[in-house]
Amino acid sequence: MEQEMVCLKDKIGEMLCEFAREDNRIYAIDSNLAKSTTTLKFEKEFPERFVEAGIAEASALSIAAGLAAEGQIPFYVNFAIFVAGTAWTQIRQAAYANLNVKMIGTYSGMDNGKDGASHHANEDLALIRSIPNVKVLVPSNVKEMREAIKIAIEYNGPVYIRVTRDNVPNVEFDTNAQIGKANIVEDLGNDFALMYEGTSASVAYKSFEILKEKGYKGKIVNIFSVKPLDIELINRLSNEVKGIVTIENHSIIGGLGGAIAEVLAQQPNHAPIAYVGVKDVFTESGTATEVKEKYGLNVENVIKKVEELFR
Amino acid sequence: MADIEYLKKLANDNRKRIVDLVYLAKSGHPGGSLSIIDMLTAIYELDVDLNAEKRSKVVLSKGHTVPALYAVLNSKGIVKDEEMSTFRKINSRLQGHPYTGTIPEVDATTGLLGQGLSIAVGMAIAKRNMGDNHHVYAIVGDGEMQEGQIWESLLQAAHYKLNNLILVIDYNKLSSYGNVNESMNLEPLADKVRAFNFHTIEIDGHNMEQIVNGLNEAYQVTDKPIAIICNTVKGKGISFMENNPKWHTGVITDEEYQIAMQDLGKAEVE
Repeated sequence: MEQEMVCLKDKIGEMLCEFAREDNRIYAIDSNLAKSTTTLKFEKEFPERFVEAGIAEASALSIAAGLAAEGQIPFYVNFAIFVAGTAWTQIRQAAYANLNVKMIGTYSGMDNGKDGASHHANEDLALIRSIPNVKVLVPSNVKEMREAIKIAIEYNGPVYIRVTRDNVPNVEFDTNAQIGKANIVEDLGNDFALMYEGTSASVAYKSFEILKEKGYKGKIVNIFSVKPLDIELINRLSNEVKGIVTIENHSIIGGLGGAIAEVLAQQPNHAPIAYVGVKDVFTESGTATEVKEKYGLNVENVIKKVEELFR
Repeated sequence: MADIEYLKKLANDNRKRIVDLVYLAKSGHPGGSLSIIDMLTAIYELDVDLNAEKRSKVVLSKGHTVPALYAVLNSKGIVKDEEMSTFRKINSRLQGHPYTGTIPEVDATTGLLGQGLSIAVGMAIAKRNMGDNHHVYAIVGDGEMQEGQIWESLLQAAHYKLNNLILVIDYNKLSSYGNVNESMNLEPLADKVRAFNFHTIEIDGHNMEQIVNGLNEAYQVTDKPIAIICNTVKGKGISFMENNPKWHTGVITDEEYQIAMQDLGKAEVE
């Protein structure tokens, strides 16, 4: 799986422009970070449909709600911690009304390494997926990213898209990008299933390659839709493989691992599940790679969890 | 020119509906509903055509005063008479705070204070871009003015010079706890709003002539958003409720209900 590395965050502005050329209901709302999130491109091309809300995230989200109430398709694009954290009750009230609000949270997990724990979003999946009506999508490559935005535009209701800022390998696979669908990226056998969300794709692929070299034959599964989950696929795999290891650029509380555990726990028989992600701690400054390495989102951890299944 | 006497009668009828709703629910927020009902009645009568596809919108940001909204919608036949006894009860369309999901004629789901003015900003931007010349009203409580998000949206509305946005502040001086300005001083409120670049109008929120004049003045503004500060009386029209913070929320007894209806009956004759 030698692939070019891509930063999906850098595609946000240009992709929104692509769709906005075809659909004049599309807006971008910013909180003074358009340069970082790349919605600056949108501002240049569609100044009248770009709403700079200033550094006022709560109000920015409610402005998106108001635009949606008038039939527009607003994308609120910001760092994940500001979207899911700062504007949480605003999202909740918009979701209660089932308004057509789209959110893109980037600099997700520990991607904003050097800014430190204050800016790491290791809780956004937990915060967002507990809100009724909101769909949560996490693209893992360029193709899925475009699909996620397209799905968000076509679907009538609130959607949260988690977009990596750290580079991920642009692994192309036969993706079935849909709300409620997960994709098996590679299937070599039933020793294990790695289940990852898109922003932790690097660690997932590297781990899978090493496990392959070590002679284990497992599966790697991309959970494109974190909410709703592909319950059918997850339940099926949980009866086929020896163990499931979830990989997430997020706290292991309430995120991908938690969501999958909620599904498995309802089955009488299922493979054991182990979590790779951030334990219940605040992180610190460093490069994204260093922070992820130190706080548990690393290849060694994945290998260890898989090998423990065979002890 | 609007028929002032007719508006007054409508508002008094809506007061009766508010009392009915809260009495039958044995729950709800009568005080702030009664303080805003004159303004709300006038806005819906003068500027909101519920049958039109494109129309002016009303965001009742102080969502707890939803009895005032249901009263108006009942007068328009949207909320049916038989629904009036279901407010705040299980399986009802009449939720405890405004909810678009059950009543599409409600323009915004609210309840969490502080968010409605921002929602109205989004609506006003969309309307302006679409060439829809109707207004967007955000009705905000004075206690709600303590919410930080309100001040974010004041900045934004003025920055975008949204002259189709009318902020209505129900300044009844009381919140659930007591005097608003003792809990957190808003004064000088009009100066503050004016300093945020709003065309700011102060009126007696129970004087229908001033209400109509205030709205007409608002419609003439071309370069900035408008704020109408309505000086009001919490519980207005019901003798035992007026200026009594206890009636922010409360259960109306049978005896109190009789007194309230007598008060409103007298107001009708006057």
